Amino acid sequence: MMTLMRHDQQMDESFYKILEIRHLTGNAFSIKLPKARFAFKAGQHISLGIVGGNQSREYSIYSGENEENLEVLIKEVQNGYFTPQLRRLKIGRMLEIHGPFGKFGMEREKAEKGKFVFIASGTGIAPFRSIIRTYPNIDYTLIHGVKTLEEAYDSHEYEKGRYVLCTSREKTGDYHGRLTGYLKTCTFAPDTQFDLCGNSEMIFDALEILKGKGFSRDQIHCEVYF
Amino acid sequence: MAFKTLGCRLNQYETDALVTDFSQAGYELVDYNESPDVVIVNTCTVTNQSDHKSRSVISQAARKAKNAVVVVTGCMANNFKEKLESQENITFVVENSRKSSILTLVDAHFSGEIAHPDQLPQDVFRYEPVRKSLHTRSAVKIQDGCDNFCTFCIIPMVRGNAVSRPVADVLESIRKTVDNGFKEIVITGVNIGRYSDGDTRFEDLLAQILEVPGDFRVRISSLEPDGFGPDFVKLFAHPKLMPHLHLCLQSGSDKTLLRMRRMYDVEQFRKTVTQFRAVYTDFNFTTDIIVGFPGETEEEFGQTLEAIKEFNFSHIHTFKYSVRKGTRAERLENHLPEKVKTERSLQIRDLSVENKIDYFNSFIGKTQDVLVEKVAHGVASGYGEHYIPVRFKLTGAQKNAIHKVRLLERKGDDENCYLLGEVIL
Repeated sequence: MMTLMRHDQQMDESFYKILEIRHLTGNAFSIKLPKARFAFKAGQHISLGIVGGNQSREYSIYSGENEENLEVLIKEVQNGYFTPQLRRLKIGRMLEIHGPFGKFGMEREKAEKGKFVFIASGTGIAPFRSIIRTYPNIDYTLIHGVKTLEEAYDSHEYEKGRYVLCTSREKTGDYHGRLTGYLKTCTFAPDTQFDLCGNSEMIFDALEILKGKGFSRDQIHCEVYF
Repeated sequence: MAFKTLGCRLNQYETDALVTDFSQAGYELVDYNESPDVVIVNTCTVTNQSDHKSRSVISQAARKAKNAVVVVTGCMANNFKEKLESQENITFVVENSRKSSILTLVDAHFSGEIAHPDQLPQDVFRYEPVRKSLHTRSAVKIQDGCDNFCTFCIIPMVRGNAVSRPVADVLESIRKTVDNGFKEIVITGVNIGRYSDGDTRFEDLLAQILEVPGDFRVRISSLEPDGFGPDFVKLFAHPKLMPHLHLCLQSGSDKTLLRMRRMYDVEQFRKTVTQFRAVYTDFNFTTDIIVGFPGETEEEFGQTLEAIKEFNFSHIHTFKYSVRKGTRAERLENHLPEKVKTERSLQIRDLSVENKIDYFNSFIGKTQDVLVEKVAHGVASGYGEHYIPVRFKLTGAQKNAIHKVRLLERKGDDENCYLLGEVIL
């Protein structure tokens, strides 16, 4: 005799209503959702899909661990399939979220005792904002590589002197050029931990520079973004 | 009833466990050419070729067993659920998470109940220890799913998030499998290096498995080259743990590895291999390589060839990159022509054979404990500790027996080569 079980309906656990959309630039925006119904570690990512759609994408969490809202940072891909749909969404629409995933980030004890250099290109800044908002006393320098000043997403939030903006297409940042160019000029303490998030080319170049400066691969942690 | 299995060792294990279930329930196992009443096809979807093979086996099964109940399960059932459900030659499509309850579904069908696969419970570890296997060695599943999201891989979408089986369940399953007479156990899962149950990590679990009493040996199925610590190397000093790892490199180029979103670089891989070979000089490493990944340059491919030579893999599973819908690699630029992928694949295969021959030759004159898997015309064949295929003559040889064999010569010059030996004990 077969036991007929109720179909496992846990879908409501994954559905989140959009509460707020913050337009940060002409093509970058953040989506605020209700507080996460799962425990996540700052630095982790989630999978995000539009209810009724058939695709999903992974995004690093942009908000801190204990915040009232779960937030993600998104850049619209020109002629892309998914992000233009996301951009057209209105407040109140439902998103399907799965996760959290990933090992990027650090334990609290390490965050409170270590010295960190965060290296991000573009929206790769997202996990670092989550980490910094989760551990407000963390000792960090955030090096952010973008094309133009407007892509310095929420840069006013970071403590003065800890955020270094590298702009490659205009002289509006702290450094004019790619972040890897800036990295070459830097000196870091030997016990520094490096966390990199961005496209694979940036990460490859930054890794080579850091290894060239004598840092062990074990001190460098990477999250590739696409 | 009949089974057809495609793909990885995990799928094979799950089929073996289902065979146990159905056998205990009184079903007779037959070949699917012998008009079975039920055919279960356990599919794979990891590459385009896997999809093609899975589709072909489903059609064949439905054609040969015309009035049979055809159950399609496995990763393709997750990836193409709706499409498969619309096919008239398939009775049931069962997702991976409900696969362990297929017996309930089939029983219900024959009892005249209206049953739907979506009503089956979801439990990826519900499988009974294997009793009646299609193979000599039995796998034990310790983990399922993966959260790595490598850009080429569809597995997180079809196997779900990483989940680990509780330690006590794993140890109980090992004990029962040993009691069922298996002499070799393969620890399996989707990403077993990421095993985590409370404070117990993969190497902690492995240490406990090795302490389970009984006359058996342990192998590890494929492993990602990250997620384990230095104690892992030490564990291989244990006589039960076999000196072979299938450590998935995928590419010898750091740039390609980053595009693949792999969690390690070549230097870290090198460190692992060096650590092992410093202690166990003849340790056997085999690997997976993907050729023709989007954007792979000649230089990057050359780095892969160099890595294969350096790490001396005795066998390489070579995969020509194929697009999996919904993965990030689908959206990467610079997809390579099939011709380039084929040429590169052939180069890897040639190198793999060279490595294999060199590695096998290095064992001539040595001895191996060979677990007999097959006996035909007085010749026993099986694998030694290092996972080298060995054949030897022995009157009255029995499957599932272990013999000490001196290795005398290599037979064959291709990827199917093996070592010929003589029993010394």
